[in-house]
Formats: sequence, C-alpha cells, structure tokens
Amino acid sequence: MATDVLVVGGGAAGIAAAVVAARSGCSVTLIDSSPTVGGQYYRGAEPPDSGSGLSYEALRRAFDELVDAARIDRRLHTYAYALERRDGGFLLRTRGDDRHRGDVGEVEASAVVIATGAFDRQLPFPGWTLPGVMSGGGAQALVKGSGVLPGQRIVVAGTGPFLLAVAHALISAGGNVAAVVEANDPLGLARHTRSVLPAAGKSADLARFLAALAKKRVPYLRRHRVRRATGNGRLESVTVSRVGDDWQAIPGTERLLECDALAIGYGFTAQTDLAGQVGARMRIGSDDGLAIEVDARQRTSVDGLLAAGETTGIGGVDLARMEGLIAGVAAVEHCGRRAALSERAIDRGMRDVVKLRGFADALHATFPVRDGWRDDVDDTTLVCRCEEVSAAKVRSAVNDLGARDARSVKLLTRAGMGWCQGRVCAPAVDGLCGFDSAASLIGGSYRPVAVPVPLGAIASDRMSP
Amino acid sequence: MIADVVVIGAGVVGACCARACAEAGLTVVVVDRGAVAGGTTGGGEGNILVSDKEPGPELDLALLSRELWAQMAGALGDSFELDPKGGLVVAANAATFEQLLRFADAQRACGVVAEPVAASDLPDLEPRISRDLAGGVLYPQDMQVQPMLAAAHIIESARATGRTTLLTECAVTGIDVDATGVISGVRTAQGVISTRYVINAAGTWGGEIAALAGVELPILPRRGFILVTEPLPPMVRHKVYAADYVANVASDNAGLETSAVIEGTHSGTILIGASRERVGFDKTLDWKVLGRLARQAIDVFPFLADVSLLRTYGGFRPYCPDHLPVIGPDPRVAGLMHACGHEGAGVGLAAATGHVIAQSITGAPTSIDLAPFSPARFEASRVG
Amino acid sequence: MSDKAAKRPGSAGSTAAPAEFSFDGTPYRAIEGQTIAAALIEHGIVAWRRTRVNDQPRGILCGIGVCFDCLITVNGEPNVRACMARVEPGDDVRSQEGTGYGD
Repeated sequence: MATDVLVVGGGAAGIAAAVVAARSGCSVTLIDSSPTVGGQYYRGAEPPDSGSGLSYEALRRAFDELVDAARIDRRLHTYAYALERRDGGFLLRTRGDDRHRGDVGEVEASAVVIATGAFDRQLPFPGWTLPGVMSGGGAQALVKGSGVLPGQRIVVAGTGPFLLAVAHALISAGGNVAAVVEANDPLGLARHTRSVLPAAGKSADLARFLAALAKKRVPYLRRHRVRRATGNGRLESVTVSRVGDDWQAIPGTERLLECDALAIGYGFTAQTDLAGQVGARMRIGSDDGLAIEVDARQRTSVDGLLAAGETTGIGGVDLARMEGLIAGVAAVEHCGRRAALSERAIDRGMRDVVKLRGFADALHATFPVRDGWRDDVDDTTLVCRCEEVSAAKVRSAVNDLGARDARSVKLLTRAGMGWCQGRVCAPAVDGLCGFDSAASLIGGSYRPVAVPVPLGAIASDRMSP
Repeated sequence: MIADVVVIGAGVVGACCARACAEAGLTVVVVDRGAVAGGTTGGGEGNILVSDKEPGPELDLALLSRELWAQMAGALGDSFELDPKGGLVVAANAATFEQLLRFADAQRACGVVAEPVAASDLPDLEPRISRDLAGGVLYPQDMQVQPMLAAAHIIESARATGRTTLLTECAVTGIDVDATGVISGVRTAQGVISTRYVINAAGTWGGEIAALAGVELPILPRRGFILVTEPLPPMVRHKVYAADYVANVASDNAGLETSAVIEGTHSGTILIGASRERVGFDKTLDWKVLGRLARQAIDVFPFLADVSLLRTYGGFRPYCPDHLPVIGPDPRVAGLMHACGHEGAGVGLAAATGHVIAQSITGAPTSIDLAPFSPARFEASRVG
Repeated sequence: MSDKAAKRPGSAGSTAAPAEFSFDGTPYRAIEGQTIAAALIEHGIVAWRRTRVNDQPRGILCGIGVCFDCLITVNGEPNVRACMARVEPGDDVRSQEGTGYGD
C-alpha cells in the first residue's frame, strides 16, 4: 500500500513534483483538499492546449494523463491532519472534506513533498470582524472558484502586488472596485526592476493589472492604509488615511470609502504545519514570515521530506512550479531512482529558483509590513477572532503577567487556541507584543493537528496497529 | 542582586512558594530559564484533586492544599478560573465498582467527602454519560484551575508585595555552596544572586537543579498527552474519570498506561487524558496513544465520537520512584529546599507546598509533618 | 427565490446545473459546485454565524478553509466551513449560534 512519493497539495508546486516523480517511474499519490487540482492560483481551471516544456499548462496536461493512466493516485477532497515518521519513511493521516470528516485514511510513503501553499496574512484593525471584510485570497476564490463577486462595491487593501491581481480578477468579472489601498510605495520596486523583473517575466502581469485599473478609473492609493471598518452588522464603509514610512497615519488625511466588501491582506503566511510535526527546521523568510528551510534541491532537514512553493517562503506561482520540479527530482532520488529530467533542465530549474527567489525578496523589500498598524489597534479590537480575545488582554499578558513569547500569550489569553489554532492571529500577536525572535514564531507555529478531526475517527479501534 | 530566597522555576509550585515566602516577609527572586508556566504547569489540566489520593501523607497534603487554593482564589479575585466542579469517578464493571467503594471508604475515614453513586443515578449528575457503567463515586471537594493563569497571577500577587522579583528567560548556571556547606548564592545568565535559601521548584528538571548544588535527586519524566476538543456548550459537568486512573497513577510500569479522564473548561473545550509513559523527554506525538485516549473517552461519553479534536499537547510529569513529592530542606546542603516531584498533582499540591516551605524557612512549625516528603528518604535507599 | 445565480458575472461553470438549497428555511438557488459561502453571498447574505462569547455576526474571512470563521450547519451537522463545502441539491443550510451545538 505504500507509495514512493506522496505529494501534499495540488497547486503548481505539487503538480510539478508529482509529474516529475511519476515520469521517473515512482508510484505517486497526491492529495488535495479541493474538488480539483490547481491550487489557489489556477483554481481548477481546465488547462489550455497552449504551453509546452515545463510550463504549468504542459505539466497540468501531463498530470491529468498520468492520473488517467493510474500512475498518479490523485485523492481530492482529502485533508492531511498529521504527518509522522514511520520505518524510515512517513505516514500521513488523512480525513475527508467537511461533509465527510470522519472518513479517515492513511498513506505510507518513502518521500513526501510538502506543497501546501499559503494564505493571506491579516493584521487586526477596528471593525475587521464585520461581515464583508475578507481576505484578498478569499475574494479571489469567490470570483475565480464560484463566479461570485464579494459585494456591490469593493475596496481592495493591504500591501503587495497581489492586491493588483485581486482587483484585476474582480474587475474582469464585472466587479465595481472602489479603490486599491496600498500601504507601501511600489515605486520603490523600480530600484530592483532592471535586474530582476525582465528576467522573471513579471512586468507584463503587473502592467496588465495596472492598465485594467486605469481603464476603469480605479484609484490606486499608494501609501494609504485602511484604519477601520464600520457598519451596522455588516460592512458599510472603511476609513483610509495616508501613511508615513512607518505606516503611521498622517493627521488630516482621513477619508471615508463606502463599500460593502473589503478584500484585504498584508502578504501571506506559509502552511508549514505538516513539516513542523516531523520537526523540519524552519527559517524566517524575507517577508518576516515562517518558512520551511530547504537546500538547493528543496530538501528539508528531515531525510526524505521535501518542500516546494509558498511553504519554503512566499514567492509566487512561477517559483512554486520550479521548486516543485526540483522537489520532484529530489523525491525520486531519495527513492533510489534517476529523475526523468535532464541534468541541464535540473540545473536550469535550480537557477530559475534562485532568480525567482531574488525577485520575491525584492518584492518583500518593497512591500514590508511596518509597525504603524499597531497604532490603530485599540483595546477593544479583537486579535484572536476564534476565541474573541481583545488587544487589551494580549497586551496585559505581556505587561502584567510576564508573557515573553507567543506560546505563553496563548496559554494566558487563549489567543490562538480556537478553531484556526492561531493561523490567523499569530502574526498579529507577535507584532503587537514585539515578539520577533525566530524561536517565538517557531514555537507558536507547532500544530499537532493540522485540521480538526472527529474523536470517533481517531479512536484506536479505527486505526491500524 | 541579593534576596532572602531564590525560587528556581516559575511554574505553579514556584509561584506558590514565592507568594508564601513574600507574604512571610522574605525577599524573593523567581528565576526561570523560560517563561512563566512554560514547563509542566503549561502542559497540565489544573487539577486540584483529593479523589485520586489514597490515605497517607499525600492525601493530607492535598486536603490542606485545597483549602489554601480556595483562600488564594478569594484573595486574588476570579483571576484563574477556580471551579469547584467536583470529581466523579466511574467504574466500568461491578468488580471495579466494588474496589472503588472500598477505596472511598478508606478516604472518607481521612476526611474526604466521597458519595457513592448508583449506576441509575449517574445520568442525574452527568446527563450524557454512558449508560453502560456500573456506578461511581462523587467527590465534591475536587476542583480545577486554569494552571497557567494561576501561576501568572500568583507570581503577580507576590510581586505586588514589593518583595518579589521575576526573572524569566534566565537560566540558572550554578548554585554556590560555601566552605561550611551552606548556600551562598545562585549563578544565572543574568548575574549572581546572593542568598541563603534556594527553593528547587524546577519540577521535572528538579534533579538537574539538585545536581548544581552537588546532590542527587531521583526525579524522572513521565510523559502525558491531553486531547483538546472544539468548544462546546457545557456537556461534561464534573471532572469525570475511570476508576483505573488511580491504579495507573500509582503504577511503576514504564510502559504506556491510559485511562479516561474527561472534563469541560470555562472556554467550552473538553480536555481528555490521561496517558502515562516513561520515555524520557521525548515529545514526539504518538497517535496510537491519542487513539486510545479517544476510545476510552468515548466509552464514558459516547457523544464525543462526533466531536472534533482541535489540538493536543504533551507534558512531562516529574515522577519519583515512590510517587511522593520532595518537599522540605535537604539535609546535605544547608539552605537548599526542594519543592518538586509532584508527578501529576503539582497544581493541586502547589498551594500547600508553598505554605509549608515558607513555614520551614521562617522556622515556624509546619502545618503537616514533612518527614514523608523529605529528600533524606533517597539517601537511605541509596545505601548499599 | 432568486435567479441571479444563472447570470452572475465571471462564471467559470455557467453550464453547470442549478442546485436548490435552503438557508434557514428559505429556498435559494445556486450553481452546483459553488461553495455554500459563495451561494449565500450571491444572494446578499454575508453573515451566518453568531459568536459564542460576544454574540457577533460572522461570515467569511480567509475564504480558503484556514480561519474557520465561516462555520455553518449543513443538514444538521454543525461547524462545516461554508467557504469549502460545495452546495449539493436539497441541502438544508442553517445559520448557527455559539458553538453550533444548540447553545
């Protein structure tokens, strides 16, 4: 029943890794929580016939063929809740989707590729719990996945080029975008563009997004930040201000934007849970977020465990695909086989990874998170939405009760103990408390259960010995 | 830096020692290599139990401790969620029920309130409990606190006296003993603290602290995991556990032992224990253990089968070979006081431990006889 | 009953069959394959849960299955993520209070 290579996550990275491994003669199992593969970026869209070589389109077509030929065991609607070491390999424990969460299973594998992606990083502000306030990724998922606009009049806010992608997706679907509110000044990117942008082939995308905004006369408010959201039971407006270098609001620049949806995000957080469960070393990425540490072959500190895509540091879909290819090669080699990818292609892929990683670092340098957001977090603002823990309580844990890291704040306030297990509030807690040590981030990110699972499904009589 | 007393360990036992010493007028420095409640305290359920103690010195200590806990909760407001919920011990079959009733008789003779409950009456106490149980015993004196909040607020109250300083992320690197065999200071990552008294409240790591003072203390880690469910409305009213828990606590078996312990919390989550294994300081999650805990909990509360597990955490109970804590002065080093090795009862016994340690340092008569807890007992057993 | 779903913008699956479902007893129409959250938002419903501590309304936040803010009761089963679960014909979808267990 054991598979050679198990790929967790069917986005660009996972698909690339699975195709390389299957083509190299390895048995491959790929699991994904969604009803389709494609991940957050491609969202299950059917692959067009164009695209060749190692393009996503070509890899996706190859993936589908390998699934049809039963050389890739593709398991959709499947969540991984725990990864363990087992007999020199790995055992992954899985469950079904929310309608079938008691349908548990196990996959044994010699090598595992973690390609679980990322989700939007949120920073709390007054009113951020109002219905209508959602992540940029969530708004994109509504439009791309279900063909539904998040509201009649939408503000897109936060920081990073992803805001432009979200606004573009909304506009393309006929959405009314009131403004894109960007806390940083993207002109800083110009410093890096000459060296990295053309090589990465990214400028075309950004230019296309900006042109779409201009055509619809959507204001791109740079050096602006959403300071609060207001509404009676649901979002009715947001207040934005011009901000200084540290994101402090500049007095007298407040203005009200009426809207019934806010799509917001301040970068991304990598999904590192499974790697953390088997003790893989983590690092702090150039966006100050946690990432799985890998070498040039996408190998983690755990033998046989590979990681690719956003889990190794936020870097976008092209980097994810290239890392997936390399991780696939490393997984094949771990299984004692030769990869069906030429040395030249592998070398080129690794060079692309370095180049794209450089581009990602430049983006992170241009779109950092600055401390000024904390000024707006008043005592009543919730930090942990699940357990409804206020900023006052979090601050008191540090100031009055001696909390010195994310774990002790959690134990003292319950921030991070709810349904999401701190995935949403961890950056906010660290930011509000001034915890910036890697140890605090890593300690706060250990999650023994990656997705809730019914007790009846894990009870010993349901498990294999 | 100079202090009358240095408390090593900012867990719940260290916190209670600091508070009791500060209240007795002593100046105190609490040092911990990590954060407040970062060790076993933060990995526990916050039990204050008399129900699981057989007649003997530990039960006497527990009875004293629960009174002191109630006093502290009164003094500190409702800051650590003290819940006098009572314990309900249940038996799966008639033979176990018979043993449980005899155990309760003996406890009752020592001042424990223990009320037999017929199988048909169990649902009155716990509407969702399994109908397949043989009976139980209700222990109204059992209580629960949120242990991390307790440690933090008790230390905070000690600091409020103006006589206590807390140093976190401050590892102890040495304990100085002068030529006459008397403690003279504690060396830490943040400098030397001159003192005549050291309280070893390092819990599972108490043996390492003792070694710094040149003495041996046989404290071993006994690993345990706790399952935490999604938040629920109140569905489990008491601390409910299976009668075989008591046998497991007292067991010397190094292998895995599990017995169902189920209780609700203020936040709505249900905590499920308890496993015991002697596997050193290995924190690797073992899903086979979690699976057994889930199975046993569902046998007592069938509704739990459909309830989601959100997380699990593990900790290491400080375990002594005779299952008794080490409390009191070490005869080998003048000024060295031990307050560790409480196994799974550290929270429950903490209040009394701090109380008698402070009495011992100030020369007052101790509320209970400390001889059974004395570190001297290991000295004797080591001869030959 | 609304038929907005049939002509909504940017549909990726406009050829998919419509799916009837109910929310708190009122019938609605969705496109099969749409998430429950998307189907509700399309009909102007942005909140379907009230929190257990402060009794506040919530809808989606992350929208991709991470934050569990969008929990909803589907066919009697509480705490299903509306952003991940797809509408199935005949679904009885209910808003939920607190823990979702009738509190």
